[in-house]
Amino acid sequence: MPGENPPAPVSLLLVEDDEVIRRTVAMALERYGYRVSVAADGLTGLELFRELKPDLLLLDVMLPHLDGIGLCRRIRESALEPILMMSARGDALDVVSGLEAGADDYVVKPVDTSVLVARIRSLLRRATFAPQAERGRADTGRAAGNGAGQGTLGPYAPPPDSDRLVFGDLTVDTAGLDVFRAGTRVALTPTELRLLLEFAAHPGVVLDRQTLLRNVWDYGWDGDSRVVDLCVQRLRRKIGAERIETVRGFGYKLRR
Amino acid sequence: MPRTPHVRTPHVRAAHHLRTVPHALRPLLNWRSLRWKIAALVAVASCAVALAIGLLVHHSTLERSLHEDRERALTALTAAVADHRRTGTQASVTPLAELPDALARQVTATGRGTLYDDSDPTVPWEWAATRVDGQVLAVRVDAGTDLRSRQALDRHMRLASLAALAVVVPLAALAAELPNRRLRRVAGTARRIAAGDLEARTRAGGPGGDEITEIAATVDSMADSLRDRLRSEQRFTADVAHELRTPLMGLVTAAELLPESEPTELVRDRVRVLRALVEDLLEISRLDAGAEHSEPRPVALAEAVAESLDRAGLTARLSVTGAPVAETDPRRLDRIVANLVGNAHRHGGAPVDVTVGATRIEVRDHGPGFPAQLLARGPQRFFTGASERGGGHGLGLTIALGQAQVIGATLTFANAPDGGARAVLHLPPAGAGRAADGPGRAQPGPGQDHGAPGDGRTGRGARTGGGARTGRGARTGGGGGRH
Repeated sequence: MPGENPPAPVSLLLVEDDEVIRRTVAMALERYGYRVSVAADGLTGLELFRELKPDLLLLDVMLPHLDGIGLCRRIRESALEPILMMSARGDALDVVSGLEAGADDYVVKPVDTSVLVARIRSLLRRATFAPQAERGRADTGRAAGNGAGQGTLGPYAPPPDSDRLVFGDLTVDTAGLDVFRAGTRVALTPTELRLLLEFAAHPGVVLDRQTLLRNVWDYGWDGDSRVVDLCVQRLRRKIGAERIETVRGFGYKLRR
Repeated sequence: MPRTPHVRTPHVRAAHHLRTVPHALRPLLNWRSLRWKIAALVAVASCAVALAIGLLVHHSTLERSLHEDRERALTALTAAVADHRRTGTQASVTPLAELPDALARQVTATGRGTLYDDSDPTVPWEWAATRVDGQVLAVRVDAGTDLRSRQALDRHMRLASLAALAVVVPLAALAAELPNRRLRRVAGTARRIAAGDLEARTRAGGPGGDEITEIAATVDSMADSLRDRLRSEQRFTADVAHELRTPLMGLVTAAELLPESEPTELVRDRVRVLRALVEDLLEISRLDAGAEHSEPRPVALAEAVAESLDRAGLTARLSVTGAPVAETDPRRLDRIVANLVGNAHRHGGAPVDVTVGATRIEVRDHGPGFPAQLLARGPQRFFTGASERGGGHGLGLTIALGQAQVIGATLTFANAPDGGARAVLHLPPAGAGRAADGPGRAQPGPGQDHGAPGDGRTGRGARTGGGARTGRGARTGGGGGRH
């Protein structure tokens, strides 16, 4: 509800070409205490993102100049901030391409402000829970050179054994929330990291999509399993495709 | 809103009675298959040719051997006549009465004659007779050797024909496998297209082929235009969604920002109605364009129904037998239940009873019952039965029916004998959800339990009215098997 101001205002960047939506959504979110910056097209959005470094992005899919999917891809080349797509079409084309491009979640317009805020909170919870996002941003310059978000972020400093989970060449530091593959730090978005930790907590156990949607995305009953599928796909690209196994008809499991 | 023709209804009845036979043997055992027709045709043609040649050979051999026999008989007669004249021997003198009748008549008429006498078929004779000095001289030579060699020839020809048939018919049956295989591929592709695989192509068409190439090319081009049409409908639906939702989103958010007041409440209420209407229309449009896909997983029915009622803010008396779990898509099930119960409240009368069984969900109200037109023709868009049945826009049942189709379920509408409307959802039996993924798999239609007297209509796959009463859930049904 309005008035629940977070201690330090969380900054959002809303990229939306429809003027009424842009203004009303910005106003509505400001009532919830967020600091909202707006952009009307993709290129402006990209510039503003680089300039303002917001905590979260709200992207419309259909945008002039650079569409939401292209913008999402460009941002993901160097940054790990949570991205929430807003699609008016709600069809597979929008949803799947958005998630493939690196969005963490999507909503279909029209969306109630309360629902939008719930999605934003869920994404931010993952981001604060995963301090790696901060580091990812600090190392943006270096990660950008490696492309595709698979940046090498600093030298490998082995964490204490008690907090280390090892799966083949993959090491998950559950205390420092770092992930290393063959001695190299892997840059994961908060959602990807949260997903990996969920798997790491149950190695060798098949987790179905509903469980993952509930535990990682905070969805009740109505989550879209494509969100899981596409996030698993992105995670596989970063930590090695063989690490997460698909169990047809059931879900996924982490190979020990 | 775009309407889709009934394009995905599969027809695979022809193969049904062969289901029990192992797959590889099936084509061999179908006696009506093209293979055996071709083999029979080849056999008939070979027999006809063999018969014609046999008759021809038999006839000309007969002519020749009769001619040779006659020559031999005449030579012997000439020798006998010369002998008779030189020596006066009576050896060849035969009384006319002892000659065969036909020969005797020839001799009487022309003074000479020949005759092939096969009155004893095992020992045929060739006669030659002439009149010399008032006496009849006659000789006969044995024609049995020729007869026997002719018989041997006939026998050999018969054997050769049989041997040729024994080789040619299996060869023809095997050779028919080539066009058969191509035809089967065309049929299989058509079946996959019918089951909803819009990318299935025979890829066997091309210029300058035979009729099978032509039909393959036709099936491919039909699939192309079907796909283009569905694609453009889906695209249209998506574009309409975008065009409608974008201003609606602004409206929804703006209405939330209004200061609390009575007019604000009015505006918000109308925005809610408008939003529900737009979403319903878009949902129907997606159902029509075939853009909806089922995501089945195990669902505890009682809990799902209870949650669905909660979410929709609807009240109903829920009774459950057992702890049914079905493999279905919970989001679609929610849409169906919410729409059925919502419809029962809007158009029927309280109390609304929801009964959940193993694969069966019944929604029953105590109002005036479904109008006759709905029972007869299925739900119609924007048709609420009568003008006094206000509220709602008549899309709920259409959506429920469409979503039931997507999850492969049957939805029946009937009136209870003691009044009140009764809508029964039959989910496909356990395991059928997965089996139905593959086209060509038939599931025996469920829904023996339609129970209600009166006008029960099975709405399985019936596209929102249009008079189709029993159809099958086209998308998930896959295997045809019409009732």
